[in-house]
Order: sequence, then structure tokens, then C-alpha cells
Amino acid sequence: MNDLLRMILLDANTQWVLIGTMLLGIASGVLGGIALLRKQSLIGDAVAHAALPGICIAFLLSGEKSLFVLLIGATITGLLAAYSIQFIISSSIIKEDAAICLVLSVFFGFGIVLLTKVSQTPSGNKSGLDDFIFGQAASLVGNDVKLMAGAAAVLIFITALIFKELKVLTFDPSFAKGLGLPTGLLNFLFLSLLVAAVVVGIQAVGVILMAALLITPAIAARYWTNSLSKMIVISGIFGALSGMAGTLISTLGEGLPTGPFIVVTATALFLISMLFAPERGLVTKWIKRIANNKQLRNNKLLQGEKRSGYHEL
Amino acid sequence: MNPVVVENLTVAYQKKPVLSNVSFEVPEGKLIGIIGPNGAGKSTLIKAILGLIPKAAGEIKIYDKKYRPKDRVVGYVPQRGSVDWDFPTNALDVVLMGRYGHVGWFKRPGKKDTEIAMECLKKVGMEKYANRQISQLSGGQQQRVFLARALAQDAKVYFMDEPFVGVDAATERAIIELLNELKRQGKTVLVVHHDLQTVKEYFDHVMLLNVNTIAAGPTEEVFTLENLTRTYGGKLSFLEKDQLIVEQK
Repeated sequence: MNDLLRMILLDANTQWVLIGTMLLGIASGVLGGIALLRKQSLIGDAVAHAALPGICIAFLLSGEKSLFVLLIGATITGLLAAYSIQFIISSSIIKEDAAICLVLSVFFGFGIVLLTKVSQTPSGNKSGLDDFIFGQAASLVGNDVKLMAGAAAVLIFITALIFKELKVLTFDPSFAKGLGLPTGLLNFLFLSLLVAAVVVGIQAVGVILMAALLITPAIAARYWTNSLSKMIVISGIFGALSGMAGTLISTLGEGLPTGPFIVVTATALFLISMLFAPERGLVTKWIKRIANNKQLRNNKLLQGEKRSGYHEL
Repeated sequence: MNPVVVENLTVAYQKKPVLSNVSFEVPEGKLIGIIGPNGAGKSTLIKAILGLIPKAAGEIKIYDKKYRPKDRVVGYVPQRGSVDWDFPTNALDVVLMGRYGHVGWFKRPGKKDTEIAMECLKKVGMEKYANRQISQLSGGQQQRVFLARALAQDAKVYFMDEPFVGVDAATERAIIELLNELKRQGKTVLVVHHDLQTVKEYFDHVMLLNVNTIAAGPTEEVFTLENLTRTYGGKLSFLEKDQLIVEQK
């Protein structure tokens, strides 16, 4: 086992895959953290599902499995889904949850239809497009991995650059507008960054589980701190850990998809956070309350005030 | 030159206008109360002046110019309920947001901005709570943080949307002291206000609004039973002198 692990870690391609999924984890954690506070987590889910028809159309049109081309297709339908949701909310009586649900199912349904079509074509049945459903980072090679790593790094950089503006926009949009910030443009920019993160991530995590990599590290991070910048950093670290662990597990076994293992790792981090985070963790709070109650009772007994709350009527 | 001039402002979400042909001017260095019943369009008026919602017609001038946020002459205190107070941040950080316009793109607020923000927290009596998570502040304390943030903007005209709603007596006093301090510095403050009993005590000028401008001018001239009856549509009665009660129909 150890030898196998060492062998994997020394492999140049695996190193790149690890760097790629780690950067992807950071980018998803960072953008997911902001999306969570903007109450836009589910938009990430819809965008991920909506990437599938784009991937299939790109494959059918180009006739080859070039990752770059497929991701362009994913970006186009992903953006289309994101803006459709915004448009439906702003111009109809349909509320956000219903709009997201509608767009997600329509796009994903269409994607599955196209995927069936692709698998019936001669080149399609071994195209590996199925890998986009659950993610298969471990099988990525060469330039594809470098593309993923580079794109994730750019996303992290842009987010860091406009962090202050995103912060005030998220907390108080009308105040942000009052400061003279171009709030419409910033909304558009953030949505585009989110779509980009999803598109970069789907090859590793898959369209179905991509949203988990956006949301889970973020809600886990929220348990540890009351500061936005710290929360975003922790969320990025959790995302990176999940990405690395999922990839390693997936590499160890033949044909294990990466996405589910990334998500299982992120969920484990979330459960630990929910139970044991200082101050906010459920177990931590429970232990503190018991200790506190005990101390209060002891104090009363010492002072002989056992019945201080009792009044004779 | 008047800090705020509004001419024939009309705002409509649907067919029926929320504000119709509203015109008024505001003199410099005064505290102005915007008074009117629920649904009169008070908050809408402020939002329309600040360009937060589109207007259907009319002219708005801030110091004789079309309002541009980047001129940084206007400070804004939105209603406290308009944001999610569970946001992971502390009081000082919220006040620092008032400095973002001065800091500019891509840069972080510096040491001087932090000093100014602390100074503003001090002015509203909140310096002890600088590092307190905002969800752990009381309603009145949250309101004071919002005021401090507007002070940090260092503006010439302030718009405040119902700052006195749901605050304790200490906060109400702190706010009114602050308003008077702003007035002494020659700033102009427009306040959307609900409580008719305190109007005469707090404001130099009032603007009575109910979709249209009913009356605007110095409080002693404009804040009369006749004007109020027109504003509130007969839903108002005087009990004893200077005591007003809005009847619930």
C-alpha cells in the first residue's frame, strides 16, 4: 500500500493531477463560500448540470474529444443556464427555487438525451463522455490537467483582486450601489466566475456532484469563524484537501470515479466541523452548556440559594 | 445652492404610481424629516433619489448636478432589516465598508481608514463593540453601526431610512445627538420618520408625503393639523395639544 502510494506520488502526471484538483478545490471553496452567502449555492448546481448538453453538443459538432472544445461547450450552456435563471426571476412571477429547478432539469434532461445520442454514434461509445457524469480526474493527462490547474489559479487570483467589492456587494447591495460600484457588472462577473469554476471542475468531480464541492467546504468553513476573509480561506483549504484526498483514493483503485470520493471527503470535513468546531459545533456547545449549568447549580448550593427563584404567594 | 432639488419625480412599479409629481427643495445644513403614512412612498423617494430604483419621470439634482455615487457627496443609511446580519463580519468591518469609495478598486483599506472607522464607531458610542460579530449586536446597536458606516463615507448630504424604528431609548438619544452634530458641521440630513410625536423636537424642516408632496418647509409652518389631515387622509385626530394619535381604521 505504502509502496503503491509512493509510486503514485512520484509519478509526474499524478503530481499534476493533484496540483490541479487542489487548485480546483481552492477555487470552488472560495467562490462557493461567496455563493453561499449570496444564497446562490443552488445556481452552481444548476450550472453544473447544464454543462452536460454543452459538452455533448461540442462533441457532436467537433467529432473529437478535445477537452478544451468540450469545456467551451460546457461554458456556453452553463452561462446560458445561469443567465436564464436570473432572467426568469427578474421578469416573471416564478421564484428563485422554482426557476433554478426548472432550468436544472430542462438542461440536464436535454444533456442526457444528447449523451444517449452520442453513445449511439460509432466514435461516441468509447468517447468517455460518461466520465463527465461522476468525474474522472485520475485519468486526465498532460495539457488537460495543466489547463485545469491554470484556469483554477486564474479564478483564485481574480476573486482575490475584487474580494473587497464582492464583500460589500454580498452584504449590502444597495449600499454597494450607493458607493458607486457597478453592481450589475459585478453580479455578472461573479456569476461568470462561478460558471467558470463549475466548468473547470466537472471533469474532476462530474456534473452531478460539482455543487457539493462548491457548497460543502463553504458551510463547513462557516462553523470555524465569524470573519469573511478567514471563512473564505478555510473554505479554500477544505476544498483543496477534498480535491487531493478524492484524487488519491481514485488513483489507488482501478476505475474508481474521482467525484464521489472528493465529495465524501468534503462531507467528512463538514461533519467534523458541525460537531466539533469551537463555539459553534454541536458537541462543543453541548459540553459547554452542561459545564455551565453544573457551575451555576454549584454556585447556588454554595451560597445556600437553592430556592432563590421560589416565591411564596 | 440647495443640496437636494427634486422636480416632478414620478416612480411607478406598475401602472399606479408610487410617487407622482413629487417636487421639493432642501436647504443646506438642516435636519429634514420625511413624514407620511405607510405606503406613502417615503423609502421609495430616497431610493429613487439615490438611483437605486429607476424613475419614470422627473429631475433630481444633488448640489446642482446629476447624482453620481462616485462624487461621494451622499451617505446612505438603509433600513436595518435590508441586510442579513448573520453575515460573517464584525462591527468595525461594516463601518470600514463606508471607506471603500475612498479606498478605490483592488486596494485594501489602510491604517488611516481603520482609524477613521474607529472614530466613527466612537461617535455613535460603539467603540467597545468594534470586534463584536454583528449578529450578536442588539437592534439598536446594529442601527448605530449603520450610522457609523454612513459617517465613514464622509459625505455632505445624508439619507436615512427609518433609523429610529425598533431601537431602544439610548440609541434614539445617540442618533439624535449625532444628527445635531452633523448639522453643526453644516451637513444636510434627510430622515424618513414615523413617529409624529417627536417631529417638532427633532426636525428643522419637514416634507409631508403621500404619493404627492403635500407640503414642505420649516417645521413650525408646515407641521400643522390641516396639513397632517391632508397627508393622513382624515385618519388622524388630536387628543390634547401637541399630542397626536394615528387612528387605526
